[in-house]
Amino acid sequence: MSESASANAPKPSSSVKLVLLGEAAVGKSSLVLRFVNNDFQENKEPTIGAAFLTQKCTLPTRTIKFEIWDTAGQERFASLAPMYYRNAQAALVVYDVTKPSSLTKAKHWVAELQRQASPGIVIALVGNKLDLTNDGGDATGASSAPQAESESAGQDEAEAGEEAEEQLPASGDARKVSTREASTYAEEEGLLFFETSAKIGTNVVEVFTAIANAIPESSLKTGRGAGGAGQTALGSRSGEDSRVNLGDRGAATAKEGCAC
Amino acid sequence: MESLSEHPWDVIIAGTGLDQSLLALALSRSGKKVLHLDQNSYYGGSEAAFSLDEASEWMNSVNQHPGRTPFEDAKIITHQDSSESAPSKADSNTSERTQGTPDVRPKLAASRAYTLSLSPYFLYTRSELISILISSKVYRQLEFMAVGSWWIHSPEHPNADSLELGATRLFHRVPGNREDVFADSNISMKSKRTLMRFLRHISKPQDGEEQDEAEENKDLSMPFADYLSSNFSVPQDLQNPLLSLSLSQLPQRDTSASYAVPRIKRHLASIGALGPGFGAVVSKYGGGSEILQVGCRASAVGGAVYALDTGIQSITDGEVSAESEHPVEVCLSDGETVRTRVLIGSAWDLPSLEQPPCTKVARSITVASSTFTSLFPVTAEGAPVPASTVLMFPGETLGSPQSPPVYLQVHSSDTGDCPRQQSIIYGSVALSGPEGHTLLERAVDRLLQAEGPQAIALWSMRYNQLGRLSNSGTPPTIQTHSPHVFRFPPPSLDLAFEDQTVDMIKQAWVNIVGDEVAHDEFMIFEDREGTSDD
Repeated sequence: MSESASANAPKPSSSVKLVLLGEAAVGKSSLVLRFVNNDFQENKEPTIGAAFLTQKCTLPTRTIKFEIWDTAGQERFASLAPMYYRNAQAALVVYDVTKPSSLTKAKHWVAELQRQASPGIVIALVGNKLDLTNDGGDATGASSAPQAESESAGQDEAEAGEEAEEQLPASGDARKVSTREASTYAEEEGLLFFETSAKIGTNVVEVFTAIANAIPESSLKTGRGAGGAGQTALGSRSGEDSRVNLGDRGAATAKEGCAC
Repeated sequence: MESLSEHPWDVIIAGTGLDQSLLALALSRSGKKVLHLDQNSYYGGSEAAFSLDEASEWMNSVNQHPGRTPFEDAKIITHQDSSESAPSKADSNTSERTQGTPDVRPKLAASRAYTLSLSPYFLYTRSELISILISSKVYRQLEFMAVGSWWIHSPEHPNADSLELGATRLFHRVPGNREDVFADSNISMKSKRTLMRFLRHISKPQDGEEQDEAEENKDLSMPFADYLSSNFSVPQDLQNPLLSLSLSQLPQRDTSASYAVPRIKRHLASIGALGPGFGAVVSKYGGGSEILQVGCRASAVGGAVYALDTGIQSITDGEVSAESEHPVEVCLSDGETVRTRVLIGSAWDLPSLEQPPCTKVARSITVASSTFTSLFPVTAEGAPVPASTVLMFPGETLGSPQSPPVYLQVHSSDTGDCPRQQSIIYGSVALSGPEGHTLLERAVDRLLQAEGPQAIALWSMRYNQLGRLSNSGTPPTIQTHSPHVFRFPPPSLDLAFEDQTVDMIKQAWVNIVGDEVAHDEFMIFEDREGTSDD
């Protein structure tokens, strides 16, 4: 990807497992598709069809290679497996700013992460589909600025203060979750917070950059599967070096076979 | 939440054990609409892995709902509260700390620091399962650690090779190749020669010796012990070590040569296939549980739909007709009714099917406050530090000569099953009830005592498990209940993954996909990892 090619000198590079969570159809996969391929598909199939996608994020001092895991639809009937959360260093919990129930669901996922994931996991709460609101589409409204909410409330006379989410104004603003409600919750729980549009691209790269910046240097290691709390080397008998690479067999012994 | 009954399914698979999960993966990637259910709120069924809290919930559920799963009589013992189990003698290193702090007794870590497997098993390095994990690209999401040495409990003859204190004093390392035999100072020269002859015999290639084959087969029908004595004059004290390489769960006299010899061959031929010094690997974080979860995820990526906590209440099996290509009507535990062309599951997941005949074994899981470092030697140059080891206690060493052997698998913290400074001891003996549990307890106590006073049990769980021993010699097969309803065999109780399982899954896949897919494409998938680097 060109983004990484622009870095001249090699920087320290580390892999980060990032998991996606959120109600179906809030745009989890679309956010990733925008980030990874800078692409958007209007009527995408529910799942992404990939084990995971990777994308580099170049910071001033280091390069983070995100390994982005999609739910593959396993969240639909409460069937995400513990292995999904295993050693994840970051999570993107997505809701739809036009659908209040999706924020409720997002809160549920945050609680689930706090229960199941590694203690140091970086969690970003992301309100997607900003393009359907009056603040959307407009790339200048870039960051997670709470003032955007009050401005739009002021501009739009059809909205009555805080309860804006209860009505669908004639101007076409479909927002039903106020920025303030979500950002207050994010602050309470210590989450990063962004409102994005995967369709237009608003804030998408920013979310991933913010996550990359928030991951503590100490938890970064190079190579796959790193970062698990239990794997930190404490002495010479480290399991880290002792992992067996199954891929070796494919090359070395081919299919000459089972001796039994 | 969406509904599962919106459209009919090609296949409904009930239960998320490894067999079912691999079948789901194969079918979902062959364009089948797969619904994969589990009556439990966790993946894995009898192969599940648990945190301490989850284990406790599981125990309650097993005892409250007998017959719902292939387990019974589960019991957890938390040893922490007994103050007399504190280490009596502290070594110089810890005594310093003892003065300042009131309590340095080893403690259990947080519940989630543990991943305890109900049916721990390892994979030989040439296993067909490894082949399909590679060809399906699923292995990239798994981490494997080496299984190191095999040990035989030998309380009568302390280990001459053991230079350090620790568990190895009362265990002899089983020689796994000729170099080991040479180096072993516990074996007399005469015995070494007989052992070498046997090892040479079974390692030689079988081709071009048809005339010997008939004779060889005749020999193999006798008990393994007789086979070793009469053909190779292997002395008795070396017969148990060889038996342990076969992982036979029956006593020596009940284990036939036709069972043991091919399995010892498998053991010897596996060493080195994935790197020097080991012949088997274990998946991190609860063994098979992690493999099947990765399989289910890959299956979901292929389009299969997953629903946990969803059991099957009743089945109405109809006929394929012009009106319906989905003759099986399945009523789910949430009241929903779904239709499918094929239904397949284990006897515990499908109601009103007759229970298959099962063997019952006693199993235990112990969290120990020691690393058992001496049991995990690196035995070849460049070999990885093993994370798992196998200990065999012949019945006579536990004061019960008629009993089958007890096997303990010790997992170091490198398996991810437990925190550092602790280990998990998985015990198994093909003898159920109090008798079996007494033997297991005795074996675990012996190991802890041999290791030293700092080694104590912090937590343990025991249970009986129903399933299938591989000793019977009949390969696992899927039972046909009707043209559309099939039943998986009871779960394997083997300590190593049974390779015939892969053939069974492939056969089931062939039966379902028919001629729509080329059969040599079984479990061979394109990469589904979207890499944007190019």
